[in-house]
Amino acid sequence: MSASQAVLAGWMEIPNSAVDELARTERARVRAEEETLAALVSEYAGTLYRVSFSVLRNAADAEDAVQEAFLRVLKHRATLDEVRDRRVWLIRIVWNIVLDRKRRAKTRPETDDVAELARVLPAEGLSAEDRAAAAQHHAQVLKCVETLPAKEREVLMLSAFEELTSVEIAQVLGITESSVRSRLFRARNLMAGLLGRERQ
Amino acid sequence: MNSSNDNSVRGRDGSGGFVEESLRVIARLPAPEGLEERVIAGVRAGGARILHFPAALRPGSSWMRGAAAAAIVFVVAGGGWGIYSRVQKPQAAKVISMPVRVAAPGGFSNAGAMRTPNTLNGPVVTHPATPKTAQAGAAAQTGKKASRKAALTGPGKTAVQPVAAAK
Repeated sequence: MSASQAVLAGWMEIPNSAVDELARTERARVRAEEETLAALVSEYAGTLYRVSFSVLRNAADAEDAVQEAFLRVLKHRATLDEVRDRRVWLIRIVWNIVLDRKRRAKTRPETDDVAELARVLPAEGLSAEDRAAAAQHHAQVLKCVETLPAKEREVLMLSAFEELTSVEIAQVLGITESSVRSRLFRARNLMAGLLGRERQ
Repeated sequence: MNSSNDNSVRGRDGSGGFVEESLRVIARLPAPEGLEERVIAGVRAGGARILHFPAALRPGSSWMRGAAAAAIVFVVAGGGWGIYSRVQKPQAAKVISMPVRVAAPGGFSNAGAMRTPNTLNGPVVTHPATPKTAQAGAAAQTGKKASRKAALTGPGKTAVQPVAAAK
């Protein structure tokens, strides 16, 4: 066998041990990715669900949105190590998903907010009547929130999450912190006007 | 995780805090039971294609190796053909040279005669000229004579010379 033939044979024939090693490495990598993802889900699924529910107001839709967010994470898992603040990054992903879903569902008839809120609101120490009244009240307020301009509404909704600082809200929305403050100020003034008009 | 800046963001609103209260109620909602398990199961089911190569596409499979070799051969052959087909071929000459006639030994020569191509057929007259009548011909003759005479005498000359008549 000439030297060139030997080189060609060596190039064409990959030894089985190398193939096994590659497969083993691949399996280990996949397992590590699954573990990372599972850790992310157990840590942030609740937060993402609350963010989703605050926009979609439907438990099943919110859960779907959380699942979609983690699927996107899986797709972009190569960049996971470069992310500095995974919590804000995940909230930003799910925020974009729910806004997109909300926009697409505009033509769909609105779900009954009152019934859904009455179902999911905590009920400790409340009678059925009180619970229904509270759900009614919250639904009415949320209906007013829906009438706000999108920019103000988004900031107002995110500001209700105690786990998000104004800096983090700015990061989620891709704006400056001062913009967050000014939008929040405008949103509150608008809401005061809207609720005052409702009371009259 | 709240910063001190947060307090100014979450100040009292002009609506008596109703809005913030309602939003916070929703923001504090507990996640439903078994959410994590369902999400992980859903992600595993949906992301199976992303996470795992199908068994047939694993790097170790023999037919995969054959397919890779065939693809390499196809690419190399295709590339070669692409280069070959782009090479400019020398164009054929537009002038055809006539072979020189060599008189056969002992045969007849052409005696310097040159071959002339056949002349083209002449134009075909579709509408023949109409024949002239006898009267029209005579009138034409008279008119011609008169015009010739006028041309010879000229405009300043007269038939009778006055000076010659005085003498």
